[in-house]
Amino acid sequence: MIEPIQKEQPERSQSAAFSESEWDSVSDHSQESLLKKKRPSGFWAAFGSTFLTIFLAEMGDKTQLATLLMSAESHSPGIVFAGAALALVTTSLLGVWIGCWLASRVSPRTREIAVATLLLIVSMLLLGSAVTS
Amino acid sequence: MDWQLLGISFLTVFMAELGDKSQIAAIALSGGSRSPRGVFCGSVVALLLASLLGAIAGEGAAQVLPASLLKAIAAIGFILMALTILWPHSEEGRRGEE
Repeated sequence: MIEPIQKEQPERSQSAAFSESEWDSVSDHSQESLLKKKRPSGFWAAFGSTFLTIFLAEMGDKTQLATLLMSAESHSPGIVFAGAALALVTTSLLGVWIGCWLASRVSPRTREIAVATLLLIVSMLLLGSAVTS
Repeated sequence: MDWQLLGISFLTVFMAELGDKSQIAAIALSGGSRSPRGVFCGSVVALLLASLLGAIAGEGAAQVLPASLLKAIAAIGFILMALTILWPHSEEGRRGEE
């Protein structure tokens, strides 16, 4: 009966230390989010900009051509579209998940530079395929 | 239900899209945005609409819409987004100096 009580004390002090550091990070986050609320970055802003750019980038792309060919060959465009849709939802989910995971591991400044670099790489790829096609 | 056709179309599109520019864009946009859910929904709707047009319209769509022009517009959009991500930071830096 005595042992559990003795064990409990160091655990308590540990948890107190944890909660203090957690509190620090929470207050940091709230300051950060207050600063970032000034920027227009809501759901619809993210939705609109992502939709427009990816839709334009995907028009006439190899995925669309593959879907086109498969549906023309098989004469059942519904099933081909269902398969393509499942694949596209999966790759989008993977992409967003990877992006969030990477963004949570680096500092805001590093994240901004990395995001801008990736976007510039994507636009170079797009310009390259626009010229060759 | 033709499960084989479903599987083939899933695998083909999945392998084509894995690591492709729209997935890189999704990684970048979700990393830079405060609303990853908005990025995910926008990406899914855009990709579904593009492949739906591909499945329905057939070859007509590729001929009517100049793909290279649309890609160039998208590229400009991504460049603008990259610049807006870098822009506010330099502004904050200037404010800090004042």
